[in-house]
Amino acid sequence: MRKFAAYLAAAALAAAAGVAASQAQPPPPAADQAAPAPPKPAMTPDDLARGKALFTGTCGAYCHQANPAAGPGQGADAPFLFGCEFKHGGSDEALFQTISQGVPGTRMVPFAGAIPDDDIRRIVAYLKSASTCKAP
Amino acid sequence: MTLATAAVAQDKGVANAETALPPPPTAWYAAKPAGAAAGPVTAAQLARGAAKGQWLHYGGDYRNFRHSPVASLTPASVKRLHVAWSAPTGTTGQFEASPVVYGGVMYVSTSYNRLLALDARTGEILWRYDVQLPSDLRLCCGPANRGVAIGGDLVVMATLDARLMAFDRKTGKVAWTVTIADYKEGYSSTAAPLIVGDLIYTGIAGGEFGAPGFIDAYDLKTGKRVWRKMTVPTAAGQPGADTWAGDSWKSGGSPTWNTGAYDKETNTLFWTVGNPSPDWNGDKRAGDNLYSDSVLALDPATGKLKWWFQFTPHDVWDYDGNTQLFLVDTVLGGKPVKAIVQPNRNGYFYVLDRDTGRFLRATQYIEQLNWATIDAKGRPVVNPKAMPQDNPRDRICPSNLGGMNGSWSGAYDPATGLVYAPSIEACQQYAKGIAVYVKGIPFMGGAPNTVDANEGKAYGLVSAVDVRTGKVKWRYRDKRPMMAGVVSTAGGVLFTANQEGEALALDQATGKKLWSFRMGGGGRGQPIVYEVDGKPYVAIPSGGWAGLDSFAGAASNLPEGGQLFVFSLN
Repeated sequence: MRKFAAYLAAAALAAAAGVAASQAQPPPPAADQAAPAPPKPAMTPDDLARGKALFTGTCGAYCHQANPAAGPGQGADAPFLFGCEFKHGGSDEALFQTISQGVPGTRMVPFAGAIPDDDIRRIVAYLKSASTCKAP
Repeated sequence: MTLATAAVAQDKGVANAETALPPPPTAWYAAKPAGAAAGPVTAAQLARGAAKGQWLHYGGDYRNFRHSPVASLTPASVKRLHVAWSAPTGTTGQFEASPVVYGGVMYVSTSYNRLLALDARTGEILWRYDVQLPSDLRLCCGPANRGVAIGGDLVVMATLDARLMAFDRKTGKVAWTVTIADYKEGYSSTAAPLIVGDLIYTGIAGGEFGAPGFIDAYDLKTGKRVWRKMTVPTAAGQPGADTWAGDSWKSGGSPTWNTGAYDKETNTLFWTVGNPSPDWNGDKRAGDNLYSDSVLALDPATGKLKWWFQFTPHDVWDYDGNTQLFLVDTVLGGKPVKAIVQPNRNGYFYVLDRDTGRFLRATQYIEQLNWATIDAKGRPVVNPKAMPQDNPRDRICPSNLGGMNGSWSGAYDPATGLVYAPSIEACQQYAKGIAVYVKGIPFMGGAPNTVDANEGKAYGLVSAVDVRTGKVKWRYRDKRPMMAGVVSTAGGVLFTANQEGEALALDQATGKKLWSFRMGGGGRGQPIVYEVDGKPYVAIPSGGWAGLDSFAGAASNLPEGGQLFVFSLN
């Protein structure tokens, strides 16, 4: 039961992140807010290559389509992750949460602890870099 | 719920209002005993196998022939086939079962482990049991179940959360339940068990999670486990441990997810083993990886290994050795041979001596194959271009799903000496990636790029292979992969289904299409033929699972939902 509650909390977080990601530009920060967080370190080509290899080796095959050019609905039942639409949020943070916490009631198991956080971020960066989404 | 009742619930330790409600029904037991006119299923009946009025095993009989003695379904008469009755499963996911028929009752399991007992003549529902499954199942390839075993007065089904459940065949009440393995470690069970005498045998799935494989024997009456034979080493120094680099056998998979065969003459149980883990990256498991992708000959009383033969040493393509075994007495080079034959997922049709495991012959039974040739001892000589790569460019055949795949069945007609093998014709680019091993997490190490499937180039065959020569006598060609099982009959007609949603009747002598009926769902199940009151019936499941089927090249636009169609003659 506790585990299920944790799942629900994670799903809610992922869903919230997804809603936020789909909204218009956030308002500019108020002048009296604390200093913004330091920018995330940029991903290097090596990071993206590792993200691709991890995605291919752990998330592809019988789960997600590993070929960005294949398009949705081809050769995989888990969601296509190189398009414009995401079931549980398409922001970097939402994708990170979905991968690390999983999706209850589906085959998407939580990968937190199995894949280090930095590697999950490399997977997210690879997905974004290989996206075929043409939407503005 | 009022505050007062909430307080009462709290006092009883009930956590919230929802759990205080009565649970939904999960079982509907028989109003009166079903099939009571027939006595318990005897060992002699099980040994005889398929008879006109019954279908007792997934494979039809212990030799896995899936051949019915019903002779009234002929090339001339099948044009008069019509729907006698139909039954919905109410579940999505591929409907892969082979029904079992005994005492006028059909026992058929659905995806997600519903078990239905139906009147075999009318389809009237007699009892039903819906297994309650957890939401975090570890499934690689869909919520399939391929059927039940029957023995005594029990019907036995394995579950997706890796349990074995026995039901009273007359009422549907659970006689016993045992846990085969902890599903959270990556295990699941999809195959029909096999009953020989007082023991029931089952394998396990988990090769995409690195879960070590095994074959189990249980006491039919009590469910108590009698023995377990591991398919990978469990300690350094054990036989086969030197075929795995380091301790890579610990996460070596090698699952046993199809039903075995049994040889009465030599009292030998045969069982097949699937891929080593991780599937497409073998860098950390250098060696042959025993007993992955092998057939094992076992003492049925103890599980002791008599002999083994490995089809695909150091598999990096997911060419599970789990396709159907046929125990065939044949003639090779003028000499009688007790053979074990298999249309392997790797595209070769193997013939072995079933008393010794000695390799006799391998011939190509699919049209497109370039991953390896086979040497005189039966060992593959691998095409270097076939090895998975970071950015693969070469198209390698067959696809990782085969060829023929263990999730559907073939048939063997002793009269023609032909094995009928449905298959996928497709090539793929095998991509290698990083495999991360943690118990219960997918451990695949790569992903085939399904180029032929994506480009609409994948198609399907049913090939009739002459066991005596290894040559293909005829092929039936379909525009999508053929991923349903077949049943052959003494009347000379073969039944199957395709990915266009059609039930098909083929001429066993020529492969010519004789009859079809649009069921609507993709064909993924195992048809059977039986008689009641002298009238023939053909049962064919309808309903695929787009996730896996489209991976092979099947249409992804067919809606899901299982439906059993039963046909008869006017």
